[in-house]
Order: sequence, then C-alpha cells, then structure tokens
Amino acid sequence: MLKYTLRRILGMIPMLFLISVVVFTLALAMPGDPFSGEIDPNNTDPEYIEEMREKLGLNDPLHIQYARWISNFVQGDFGESTRYKMEVSDLIAERLPNTVLLGATSLVITYILAFAMGMYAGRKPYTLGDHFIGGFNYFGLAIPSYIAGVFAIYIFSFQLGWIPFQGSVDITVEKGTLEYWLSRLHHVITPAIVLGLLNIASYTQFLRNDIIENSRKDFVRTARAKGTPEGKIYNRHILRNSIIPLITFLGFDIVNLVNGAIITEAIFTYPGIGQLFLNSVMNQDYPVLMTLTMMFSFLVLVGNLIADILYGVVDPRIRLD
Amino acid sequence: MEALTEKNTNQTPSKPPKNMSPWAIARRKFVRNKLAMTSSVFLLIVMIASFLAPYITTVDISRVNLGQMSLPPSSEHWLGTDKSGRDVFVRLLYGGRVSLLVGLACTFLIVVFGTIVGSIAGYFGGVVDSVLMRFTDFILNFPFLVFVIVLNAILFGHLSGVWVLIVVISVLGWGGVARLVRSKILSEKENEYILAAISIGCRPSKVIIKHLLPNVLSTIIVQATILFATMIVAESGLSYLGFGVPTEVPSWGNMLSTSRDPDVMQNMPWTWIPPAIVLTLTILSINFIGEGIKDALNPKSYR
Repeated sequence: MLKYTLRRILGMIPMLFLISVVVFTLALAMPGDPFSGEIDPNNTDPEYIEEMREKLGLNDPLHIQYARWISNFVQGDFGESTRYKMEVSDLIAERLPNTVLLGATSLVITYILAFAMGMYAGRKPYTLGDHFIGGFNYFGLAIPSYIAGVFAIYIFSFQLGWIPFQGSVDITVEKGTLEYWLSRLHHVITPAIVLGLLNIASYTQFLRNDIIENSRKDFVRTARAKGTPEGKIYNRHILRNSIIPLITFLGFDIVNLVNGAIITEAIFTYPGIGQLFLNSVMNQDYPVLMTLTMMFSFLVLVGNLIADILYGVVDPRIRLD
Repeated sequence: MEALTEKNTNQTPSKPPKNMSPWAIARRKFVRNKLAMTSSVFLLIVMIASFLAPYITTVDISRVNLGQMSLPPSSEHWLGTDKSGRDVFVRLLYGGRVSLLVGLACTFLIVVFGTIVGSIAGYFGGVVDSVLMRFTDFILNFPFLVFVIVLNAILFGHLSGVWVLIVVISVLGWGGVARLVRSKILSEKENEYILAAISIGCRPSKVIIKHLLPNVLSTIIVQATILFATMIVAESGLSYLGFGVPTEVPSWGNMLSTSRDPDVMQNMPWTWIPPAIVLTLTILSINFIGEGIKDALNPKSYR
C-alpha cells in the first residue's frame, strides 16, 4: 500500500512536468505577450519596448524562458499580477480562504443532506417519502448549477430578500467578531448548496440503492433473527457497509469542486480563486492565469490520487500494482 | 448429464413461438417505458422545432429593433423581447439549434474518438495499450472547464464560431469514453469467439469492428446519452460565463447569461426563465431516455 502510494506520488512528477509545458505553451499562444505586463503600455517608443523585452528576457529562446519560469515557479515565485500590481502568491492567499470556505461548507452540506435523505429513502423504499426524495434527485441531476444559482438569486435574494446575491461578507461588520463570521456564513450558504446540488442528488441515490441492496443480505437476516432493534440494524450494521463505497468519492469531490467553484463563484460574484481565474483570462493577466491553471491541475491530480488510494483502502480485494 | 439434456429439451417448447432479436426485445421494453417515451417525444419536439426554426419564423434574429425594446410577453411577442428588441421566442428556437448542435456534435466526436482509442488499446494490449492509456490519463488529468476556457480564449481571436467550441470540448473530453471502452473490450476479448475469429485469419480491424464493437455497443450507447446531456450543460455553462459560443450567436447559455445583469434578472425575467426551463427539461428528458435505454438493453431487467 505504502509502496503503491509512493510510486503514484512519484508518477505525478512527469505528469506535472507535461502539464507545465502545456500551460507554458498555451500562455505563449494567447493573444499578447505573456510576460509583457512589466512594460509601461503608455510608452510606445519601439526602442524602449525592445530594451524592456531584452531586459525581461522575452527575446531569449523558448526553452530558456520556460526554464526560468518553471524554476521560479518551483521556488514559489509566481510573478506579479499585471492587473492587480501585486505578488500572485499574495493575491491567491487573499482569495483562497473564501474558496476553501465555500468548498468545505459545500462538502459538509452535501454529506449531511445525502446521508439524511439516503438513509431515510433506503430504510423506507417505495413509500411517499422515498418517491419525493427520488423526484428531488432527478431534478437535482438534471438542473445545471448555473440555472439553480440564477433561480436561487432571483427567488431568495430579489423576491424574498433572504440572502445577499454577491460578495463574501458584509463590508460594514468588523473583522474577527461573531457577526463577521455569521455574515460570511450567510454569504456562503447558498453558493455552497448550489455547488453541491449535483453531488447531493447522486450520493443520496447511491446510498439509497446500496442500503436497499444490503438490507437483503444474510447478515441483516442474522441480526434480525437475534432480535436486534430495527434502528440499530440500519444505523449500525447496514450503514457501516454502505458508507464504504461512498468514501471513495471524496477524491472526485476535489475535482468537482475545482470545476464547480469557477461557475458558482461567477454566478454569485463571490471573490474566490474561481472568479480570480475568470478575471485573469478576461484581462490577460498571465502570471495569475498560469499559476491558477497549474494549481487547479495539481488539485485534480491529487484528487484522482486520493480516489485511487481510497479504493484500495476500503476494498482490499482491489490489488493496487 | 442425462438430467441436463432432459431439462434442455423440456425448456425448448416453453419459449415464445417467435424468437425476437435482442434489439427487438430492447425496443419493446423501451416503448413500454412511459417516462422514457414521454421524454423522447418531448426531446423530438424540441429538436424538430429548433432545427426547423428558419422555416417556422421569418424574423431576422440579428436585427436590433429599438422600437420594441424590453417588452413583456404579449400576443405579438409570445415571450416578450429582450433589451435589444429581439423576440425571445424566436431566439429560444434558434438557441436550441446551436445548443443541440453543440451537444450532438461533441457527443459524436467524443464517442467516435474515444471508441477508436479505447478499442485499439484494449485489443492490442501491451505497449500500444500503455502508451495510449498514459495519453488518456494525461488528458483526464486536465481540469476540463479550466482548459476549455483557456483554449477558447486563445482561439477566440483567430477562429470564431460554434465549431471552435465543439472541437475544443471534444479534444478535452474523450478520455472517459476511451477508458470505458477499453475496459469493456478487455473483458470481451477473452471470449472464445474472438479466438475463433483470429484463428480463421480475421484482420484485427475486422475483429474489432465486426466482433468486438457490437458487443460493447450497448455500453457506448448509454454513455452517449449521458454525454449528450453533459455536453449541452457544458456548452450553456461556458456560454453563461462568456467563454462559449460567440455572444452574437443565440444559444440557451447566451440567453441565460443576460441574467448576469441584475437589472435584467430582476425586472425582465421573461428573457431568461424560458431558456432555463427548456434547458432543464431537455436535460431531464435526456436523463430519462438514457435510463430507459440502459434498462431496455439490460437482459437481466424485466419490466
């Protein structure tokens, strides 16, 4: 197991190298000069531009430019944002907590709702409540997150005035107080539900089907024959078996959150790294764009790795080699 | 041994008089599934209405009509007009054309390419398999949305139009199908009929196309319906963000993106609610159809 994990982590290095080459190539292919942010745009004197290009190393051969970028990158120097005029690492450090809060809240809500609904529907299949949950699931699987987000803003924010429709915190509250954190929670709750909607539906459905399948197995009959209370059978004996496959989804959750955060943050104009990414594409802010693309790719790699390892952990029958 | 033969002979007369082909059984099961049939009819209506849009209406969709800006729904404009005075209903029809075209074209390209890569990797195995699968892993490790946005931003100035988006999505999206087809081919090629086909001298291409693919076709079809829904969602999501089809082309996603303006969202809901509802219902019906097909092609399910 440990050997496999180590080998997979080592295997990530060539993959990251290839991805960095692709990201670098894409940045070169994008309109404008990827590293020309340092040049004063108001000074159009060709001699000045040529001098600056030489100084910034834009006239060097490509492999040297790449080597310089990647060696700085590995050392944690991501360059300076051309739009915000600040270090990319500081910019990301400022936005990242918002996205982490959004992702974490979304995961907590997803698992709580999925467990509650899945366990209910699995225990009482083919009843009114089960059909109701089933209907919700079909709906949750079909409605794209941006449509759910737009309707949530229209109904709960514009019509009812329950939730704010943008930002991550009320600017009037003082930082660090209880009020501040409540305001943040208030801002994050709807985006988090919208972000988790698809997963809530699919995990609920998965848990329900797994519980129904497990409840027909021999160990449940044995437990019933011993006179174990029905609640204990479902909450302990069956649930323990049904949770196992669900755990493996944790790795994919990371991948989903990366893709989902971009759209959700755009809908709710929530200042996280997803929105930062979209802005960097629109403003051709290459240092930010390249850093974030590398970061997202890294997260996806880690997510896939966690998923593969968890498969082996929860099901020893899967041989990892 | 004796008992077994007896059992076999006893069973023969009890079979239905006419032996139906697996496809005929599947078709009968699908037609009996009410939810899937209703969804098929709905999807068919949406598709026909969208693709016949130029024949249904003669209104010019690109013309800005300043005299009829932001009108609420009326008998003249069934779903009202948007901020540029364009009829929402007509745009909905044309938008469906683009969204469905992107969905269908991406699904087609992804399924074809994924199947080719997956079946070659699965059939030949060895070095071919490892090279192709490393490449597939490489593609799968890209965060899909991030790279579609970046690629689209690069190509936007040089090439524009719906086909750029279709190609970009397809290039980044085929990994999952390739993996699925490979795993199915891997288990299918262990069967004796494949050995028989090879031993009588069938070329690899013939073994794959004639013998292997028909047996994994049901998996591919089910996967294709899921992909179709996913691709429509991807297109409209990208267009909503402003990185999909060009803004002057009407698509469901582009129509929805007008709601990013708080004024439009609050005061002109008739411009963005119709595409939202049609899009959701389309995805819902595709999901139901996919489930119906999955059920119909599964020989173990009796419905």
